[in-house]
Amino acid sequence: MIEADGITVRAGGRALLEGVSLALRPGEVLAVVGPNGAGKSTLLRALAGDQAVAAGQVRVEGRALRAWRPGELARRRAVVSQQVALGFPMRAAEVVALARLPWHTTAQAGRDAAAIALAMEQAGVAHLAGRAYRTLSGGERQRVQVARALAQLDGAAAPAALLLDEPTASLDAGHRGQLLRLLRRLAAQGVAVLVVLHDLNEAAFVADRVAMLIDGRLAVLGGVAEALEPGLLQDAYGLPFRSVAGGGLLPDFGAAGR
Amino acid sequence: MSVALTAVLPRARARVAVLPLGVALLAAAMLAGVLLGPAHVSAAGLWASILDALGIAPLPAEHVRDAAVLGVVRAPRVLMAALVGAGLGAAGAAMQGLFRNPLADPGLIGVSGGAALAAVGAIVLSGSLFGAAAGVMGLWLLPAAAFVGGLGATALMARLGTVQGVAGVATLLLAGVAVNALAGALTGLLVFMADDRQVRDITFWTLGSLAGSRWAQLPVVAVLVGLPTLALCALARPLNALLLGEAEAFHLGIRVEVVKRVALVLAAVAVASGVAFTGLIGFVGLVVPHLVRLGFGADHRLVMPGAALLGGTLLVLADLLARSLAAPAELPVGVVTALLGAPFFLWLLRSRAGAA
Amino acid sequence: MIGRRLLLGGGAAALAGPLRAAMPARIVAVGGAVTECAFALGAGGHVIAVDSTSRFPAAARALPQIGYMRALAPEGLIALHPDLLLLSEEAGPPQAVAVLRAAGAPIRAIPEVPTGEGVAAKIRAVAAALDVDGAAVAEAVLADWRALDARVAALRPVRAIFVLSAARGAPVVSGGHTQAAAMLGACGAENAVTGFNGYRPLSAEAAARLAPEAVVIMDHVLAELGGVDALLGIPALAVTPVARSRRVLPIDGSYVLSFGPRAAQARRDLTRLLHPDATLPDLPARAWT
Repeated sequence: MIEADGITVRAGGRALLEGVSLALRPGEVLAVVGPNGAGKSTLLRALAGDQAVAAGQVRVEGRALRAWRPGELARRRAVVSQQVALGFPMRAAEVVALARLPWHTTAQAGRDAAAIALAMEQAGVAHLAGRAYRTLSGGERQRVQVARALAQLDGAAAPAALLLDEPTASLDAGHRGQLLRLLRRLAAQGVAVLVVLHDLNEAAFVADRVAMLIDGRLAVLGGVAEALEPGLLQDAYGLPFRSVAGGGLLPDFGAAGR
Repeated sequence: MSVALTAVLPRARARVAVLPLGVALLAAAMLAGVLLGPAHVSAAGLWASILDALGIAPLPAEHVRDAAVLGVVRAPRVLMAALVGAGLGAAGAAMQGLFRNPLADPGLIGVSGGAALAAVGAIVLSGSLFGAAAGVMGLWLLPAAAFVGGLGATALMARLGTVQGVAGVATLLLAGVAVNALAGALTGLLVFMADDRQVRDITFWTLGSLAGSRWAQLPVVAVLVGLPTLALCALARPLNALLLGEAEAFHLGIRVEVVKRVALVLAAVAVASGVAFTGLIGFVGLVVPHLVRLGFGADHRLVMPGAALLGGTLLVLADLLARSLAAPAELPVGVVTALLGAPFFLWLLRSRAGAA
Repeated sequence: MIGRRLLLGGGAAALAGPLRAAMPARIVAVGGAVTECAFALGAGGHVIAVDSTSRFPAAARALPQIGYMRALAPEGLIALHPDLLLLSEEAGPPQAVAVLRAAGAPIRAIPEVPTGEGVAAKIRAVAAALDVDGAAVAEAVLADWRALDARVAALRPVRAIFVLSAARGAPVVSGGHTQAAAMLGACGAENAVTGFNGYRPLSAEAAARLAPEAVVIMDHVLAELGGVDALLGIPALAVTPVARSRRVLPIDGSYVLSFGPRAAQARRDLTRLLHPDATLPDLPARAWT
């Protein structure tokens, strides 16, 4: 669905990403993990087309990202950024409704209201529809943005991609679970899901494959067991991790650094 | 679909209801603008003028004056006010949407500062430097200079604000500040060179007036203000996407850089063409979009045409007051727009804050 | 369009009304000198409104105001139903005058030239517009003006400056091509300010170099500043010979600088202020002074 082929991103003479290659496949959840500053968000932005690459290429369905018309691209890939601030006050449902912009010239335009309602239902924000966006909590806003992304992909004929940048950051445990289960359901429906996560346990739960970035390089890309291996984690984070019952991972915060 | 959703989403039916209301409001204001004013026009005079204008019956001699008041003095003035007000309202709404800044107004992109600089230049230098041009161009010299100055300043601002092909909002804003400061300084220099009479002319120009509106100007204004205003209304969807920010707008399939450029050019043309004939008119571009948003929300499909219609309405009414209140003298219309709108705006803000 | 028809059809005659045969009955006068001319020519009773620069005679001040002459209100003027609109050449803005013309307003533009001959021409132009014989008034004013010529020419010119205002520190003074400069020149004074036209602020350095012997200033401006001491306390003037000689000459601006029918008397009075020892011929009493 979306492929990065040896992409390098530089800013201020420093490489934020260095020769990263990976392919996001339809029907999978690919979690991107790594320590702070490893280039996770930069990778997501490069795959979304926000960030120009200095070397390498990003392809969507085999076609160079730059060759896509923005409108066409928007009908098959949606992005949930870390934070979205509104220019002017809007209600939650109006924010979600903006997702239907790419569809207004298509035959799918008639589905707008249904798509918005369904997406808000799925993201668990239907009850917030009439609330002013700026009165929502951080977690509620995050879920409204997820609903917007879902509404944007409603009606996508080709395999769709959903890119999320730390979508669980301000969610409580209950809503994290809801969101992660939603991502699994989307993958089951054939959506290609790439999600940047901080919490390795969330990654372990939701991901089919995990990409670990360290210092802008792809340290490992593979199945959960392969990528979230305690030795590798200790190298990445400078902390020992231990497995706990039920497949979880616990960092040992008390342990001395490397 | 849930009940809450139907109540919240700006639906086609709501738009259909609001926009004709705005059109009716503007039409009523324009009718009042033509029918009312310090020069009394009798009903018979009005009727005779209408019959004459429609070519049904020739104008009786006793109604020539009424026909002149309606057709020569008021009608072009009211049309000019409606067009210029619509342009200012739409340009203000577009700039606020583009810059995602509630304090943005057409002045921000340098167009007013540049127009003022060129107009002041025309006033001060028309005796010397532009002497020959003044002779040839007559009454068109000042508007032409203001138009070119306004567009030039915006072009300079856009050029300074574009780095590596990207016109970032913050860079553009700073470039606008710099261009305005430069235009202000050069205007100050010209004011220094001006004599007492010219300084008073400059002062009146910067306060705005529709007193010089003539039919000959209206085709120009209809094209150069009317078309950009309509085009700005057509940018409603991209501007909606920009409510989420530039990155999100791009994710939604908007060509952000293209939209920014087009909106800047359209706003600059609409505002520069308007102020070229009327002088600077403050407040309309800043506050009218907010009034529409306070009433109908942030959806630009309503805000853009709403701001155009309300801007036209407000300027027509402000001009009616400007020529009526101090008759037989006339107040600068920019003074009236500010006196009318600022307290109303504050009241709206506070009542909204109280309700929230 | 109605406007087109009017432009072609000559609406002026229609707007003028049936009283046009004699002197216009409803006159709006715009410009201080123009208003004075209308009153001097006996049309004062027919003037129904004036602009804010028309300060003389006292009767003019009691009339309805049409505002500042450079910011005319087309509809407000038409609402007064004038059958004569006497506009000083200085009136504006040109766009508003164009609207008035298009609407068929009965406009007569009066030239403004700040000389004795200019005043006579102004009186004749106003008289023609009023449909009265103005020759006697014009000739009397010109004769009075010329009666001063020989004496003034014999005077040693005083280096003087005209201060328009000094509210913001630097005094704003007259350069060339102003009515003040013209009047100074006609009154045995030499405008010490050269090198620019119109009014501009004067720096202390320039003032010291110009070394004016006298300062001419409008009386109300001097009063607003707080008197002679306050004026001479301004740095730009404190460095000039005037600070010691204290030759500050207050004038009534609407009298001395308007170049209306009282121009000869104004010339005599300012000459006397500038040259207290000079003997000047007596001017005959005139009805309009």
